[in-house]
Amino acid sequence: MEPMQLTEMMLALRNPAGVPFYPIVFVGLGVLTFALHIFFVQLMLGTAAITLYGAYKQDSHWRRLASAMLEIAKVSVSVAIVIGVAPLLFVQVVYDPQWYTSNVLSADWVIGFIVIMIVGYWGMYYYYFKNGKYGANSDTPKARWSLILSLAFLLLAGWIMHSLTSQMLHPEQWASWYNPNGTMDYSGSKLHANNPWRYAFFILLAIPAAGAMLIAYRRFKSVRADADMTYLNWASDLGKKWLTYGSLMVIVPYIGWMMTLPEAAGDFATSLWGILPIAILVAVAGWAQIRLNDKDSLCNYMALPMVLVAVLVASITREVLRFVILNDAFGYNFFDYKVTMDWYSTGLFFGTFAIVGGAVLAYFLTIAWRVGQSNGVYTSSAAVDRMGTLAIWITFLWLIHFFVLGFVVWAQ
Amino acid sequence: MELISLFPTWFEPMVGSGWVVGFIATFHVLASHTSVGAALLFAYLSWRAYKEDRDDYLDFVKKYGLFLLVFTYVAGSLTGVGIWYSTTVASPNGIGALIHSFVWKWATEWVFFVIEVVGIYMIVYLVGKVDKKTHMKISVIFGMASLATMVIIVGILSFMMVPGKEQWFEQGGYLLGFYGDNTFIQLAMRMAFMMTMTAVVGGIVVAGIKDAAFKKEMARKLGWLGIIATLTGAVLFQLYVQTVPDYALLVMENRLPDYFNTSIMVVLVITLAYFIATMLQPRLLVAGFAGTMSVVILVAGLWPEETARESMRKPWVAGQYVYSNQVIGRDVPGMDIQSQLPIIEKVGILKAHPFTPEHLREVNDGNIIQAGEFITMTYCSNCHSASESGIRPLHRYFPEGVTQEVMERYIRGAIVPGTIAYMPKMPMIESEIKAISAYLVMNNNQGMAATQQAIAQEIAQRDATEMAKQAEQPGLVVSMKSTAEESK
Repeated sequence: MEPMQLTEMMLALRNPAGVPFYPIVFVGLGVLTFALHIFFVQLMLGTAAITLYGAYKQDSHWRRLASAMLEIAKVSVSVAIVIGVAPLLFVQVVYDPQWYTSNVLSADWVIGFIVIMIVGYWGMYYYYFKNGKYGANSDTPKARWSLILSLAFLLLAGWIMHSLTSQMLHPEQWASWYNPNGTMDYSGSKLHANNPWRYAFFILLAIPAAGAMLIAYRRFKSVRADADMTYLNWASDLGKKWLTYGSLMVIVPYIGWMMTLPEAAGDFATSLWGILPIAILVAVAGWAQIRLNDKDSLCNYMALPMVLVAVLVASITREVLRFVILNDAFGYNFFDYKVTMDWYSTGLFFGTFAIVGGAVLAYFLTIAWRVGQSNGVYTSSAAVDRMGTLAIWITFLWLIHFFVLGFVVWAQ
Repeated sequence: MELISLFPTWFEPMVGSGWVVGFIATFHVLASHTSVGAALLFAYLSWRAYKEDRDDYLDFVKKYGLFLLVFTYVAGSLTGVGIWYSTTVASPNGIGALIHSFVWKWATEWVFFVIEVVGIYMIVYLVGKVDKKTHMKISVIFGMASLATMVIIVGILSFMMVPGKEQWFEQGGYLLGFYGDNTFIQLAMRMAFMMTMTAVVGGIVVAGIKDAAFKKEMARKLGWLGIIATLTGAVLFQLYVQTVPDYALLVMENRLPDYFNTSIMVVLVITLAYFIATMLQPRLLVAGFAGTMSVVILVAGLWPEETARESMRKPWVAGQYVYSNQVIGRDVPGMDIQSQLPIIEKVGILKAHPFTPEHLREVNDGNIIQAGEFITMTYCSNCHSASESGIRPLHRYFPEGVTQEVMERYIRGAIVPGTIAYMPKMPMIESEIKAISAYLVMNNNQGMAATQQAIAQEIAQRDATEMAKQAEQPGLVVSMKSTAEESK
């Protein structure tokens, strides 16, 4: 097919209902939530890898760290999944022609992804239930195979997602994937496109992410009266190494990715957006060397946001690359997606996100933070208790508004 | 080119793409409804624990919460995503219609999902680590957030069956599409059902309680909850049926399996008997019994109910304007959406489909079975499998030995104009009618393997013809061997 025909095809595949707000907003939210999602994926992989490594080490510090990181890995899987719902939603809004085509052409893998994720997730829980919080002086952890299985399946799930997003960028090959050698293939049994460098880049970012987590972990636990500073300092030193060298190391697969971009990407690799992730990763490594010398400084908590910023920049680059390939080479510009404006539902989302989400999560995270730094039972202060009351009222009013408005519309 | 928004087709020969969606959706409903019901139960128990200073209630919340965290939150959240994925590959325009009308509503639901995920960890892991008042507040927020996820998704599910208000077709807009008779009654029905599920699945946790008095108390609480919810749900189901379109009732009468009503009644009676028995004799409540009941409800209650909901909205898959075969079959002026039927009537489905390979755009003797298969996959495979097994296999609908002439007459008279109540209108030009008929006749009389053999022969013939054509052109390299021979 000629590029013009491909453009016409992709435009025909757009949903005729249009989108209820300006397309750029969905793309922006997609990038932001993808960055958060992939950051938690990296935390999950990094902390699960520490748990696995620690499970095979006899060293008491490693055993203890492995046990602590398992707790973070478990929560990170949940958070990665729930946050991952958002970019999955937003990509369907303006890139539905590409996303749906890519998915249907590899449908068996799309369905397999669900099963693989469930097995991967349950594998981690199985290991947890077999061992509990086993700590430093435990025997050799049981069922280590389940953790290996879990990590392998989670990586496989990542590979599937990586392939699906890669396939979106090759509209020129869709016809040949659907009709290879002149024979129709309705099976959806193959993954058709990938770039191992790109996959390695996003996966290996788990190293600096886990490093940042170790640094923040040490700072968080150090305020407790029962803190074991020898162990915590060891974890923090390890984290600093991972953060510094990991940030520099992932530049290698990133350059590999940029050097193997499809022809349709033009000179993206040497553009500002192509170079920016390298600059930010070097900056993170430099920041870690300069700012992380005082272990008790609040700066240690900044390690996590610093990695998140690097991941966000890489996510923006990824999105710009998608735009460059689909717009410049194939004439698909998401900006001109039909808009069927809907102010109410737009306002409802942003209001819920900022007011309900803000009030409730502020309350929840305050409690979680205080509990983590307390010995014994934590009792809310008057201010925190008021935060809870406020969060209850806000959520309650949201439900009231839903029903009142609904009945008004229904009764018309 | 006059193209419409049709994507490639995924054909799953064993069970069919429709059942794949059904399996995932049914499991998700079990997990998600139990989670929402349990969240409300946790809020109630945590409040009682605070008021009466009872540690055992919180201990129960912790155990039930951990059980849900592993089984329903893990599998529930992933199968929730799985519904998107499975509908994407089975019905891309169906899910696309919902996404493009309700993207902000789903995004709003996502905010509550995040609250839920953080909340369940806090409810489970903070028992005994925070004071009871704080735990109660966390539980109340968690319960309301869970309920919010339910109220949001029900509006979208209702739209799948029928847009909230008839004015939506003329005026568009989220509110008119979301709210209607079906929305509220379906919400009430599902809430009753989710409390039934909470009571049944909760039995698995109650079974593990060692203290006989507390076990009895919880068995009674869950028993009453289950009985009231089950009876309320049964009444609400009758009201729900009143709010669906007339054609949906017709489909229900004609298309649902004979065992549907019996199955629902049997499950109702078994469920009530189960609750009464466990209330009277809490020692009967062992994990295996409660687990078996969960499976019984899943297989004999939920599966038929979800199948009914799926079948009842035929020929539409979303909003009464997207056909189950993905074609937009109706104008929606309020959303500036035009029916795609006129384009297909004008150029035929092969030329209107963006993914028709070049060699299948015109039907001829050399590609008739391939073209017939392509049309069958596009128009039929969402609801009818071309294989022996799978969803409503095509071979069940035609007599053995059916002829090309009879098949063409049937396609021309019933399928193209859409005279079968629960099937879409499927425009085809004359050559396409011949192609689909040829494929269906061969598939019916000789089986799917024969169609694949015929397709292989057509392709071999086409390749041979192309090779011969290339060989006739002087100077063109056909193969290394022939070029070498020519140069000698």
